[in-house]
Amino acid sequence: MAIQRAQPAEGEQPDRWEAQLRKGAVEMAALASLWQGRLYGLEIIRFLESHSQLALAEGTIYPILNRLKAEGLLTSEWVESEAGHPRKYYSLTDAGRQRLRLMAEAWTSFSGGLSRLLEPVLTKKEKHQ
Amino acid sequence: MTTEMQIDSYLTALRLHLGPLTIAEREEIVREIGAHIRDSVESGASVESVLARLGPAEELAAQYRDGVLIRQASRSFSPVKLLRAALRLATKSVFGIFVFTCGLFGYSFGAGLLFVALAKIFVPSHTGAWVQDGRLVAAGAFEYGYLPQAHEVLGLWIIPLALTLGSLLLLLTNYLIRKSLRLSQRWQSKL
Repeated sequence: MAIQRAQPAEGEQPDRWEAQLRKGAVEMAALASLWQGRLYGLEIIRFLESHSQLALAEGTIYPILNRLKAEGLLTSEWVESEAGHPRKYYSLTDAGRQRLRLMAEAWTSFSGGLSRLLEPVLTKKEKHQ
Repeated sequence: MTTEMQIDSYLTALRLHLGPLTIAEREEIVREIGAHIRDSVESGASVESVLARLGPAEELAAQYRDGVLIRQASRSFSPVKLLRAALRLATKSVFGIFVFTCGLFGYSFGAGLLFVALAKIFVPSHTGAWVQDGRLVAAGAFEYGYLPQAHEVLGLWIIPLALTLGSLLLLLTNYLIRKSLRLSQRWQSKL
């Protein structure tokens, strides 16, 4: 599920399309990070960075978590920590698990198909160089 | 400024810009972001870099507000709420501009038709549909209603006709905006 950011060519603005793509992937990634159990916001951010190179502006993830919770895909609870302040832990609801499973299936078949389609594009590029 | 003061001023700004949300929602968000900042600082990051990665408090609050605004509106029937959410959507995408324009048109035309039905009751001679040489030349309610060569064809039938068409148009506009708002949410959450 790695979504690596290709280095944009010199002088080229990072694509709006790519930004949209990443934004769409963030929700699925956030849900996926909770598959094994509950995490709090900062742990989700770190999990995504270490497992998928999906480095995101930290301001983006919290409103998304808020929305996923409002949609009933996540629940949250405040848990006291040794740090002295409570942390808000998120976990998947049954609906969230269900949705994530569907998203994962759609993503896998979609990206598999596209990768095959794009194979010639990438090999041709190497020949030119 | 000490670290604690910087955190407090960020959270105060955030709370301020989260204005339209309920107090409970707002405090929960502020508490969560506060915990995020403190955890990040305790793990060694400088408070400046943590706040920079979160982005300006105003923008962070706007992301929360948009989500709530669009979600609430997509469940409501109020034209004001729906149009406001559509306007918000219009600042973000071409699709939103389209939705807002259609919504504005649908509501004004629908309301106009209801007005015509009312006008027929109060100023019957100025309200109607006029035909001249087999062509429709004017329809609606007019301040100066006298067209010498044309004759009015609908009579009182214009009342039920305008009421029905107007209501249908208003309902259809409502339905389409709600549908579009839901769609826009799903686009954000799915690929």
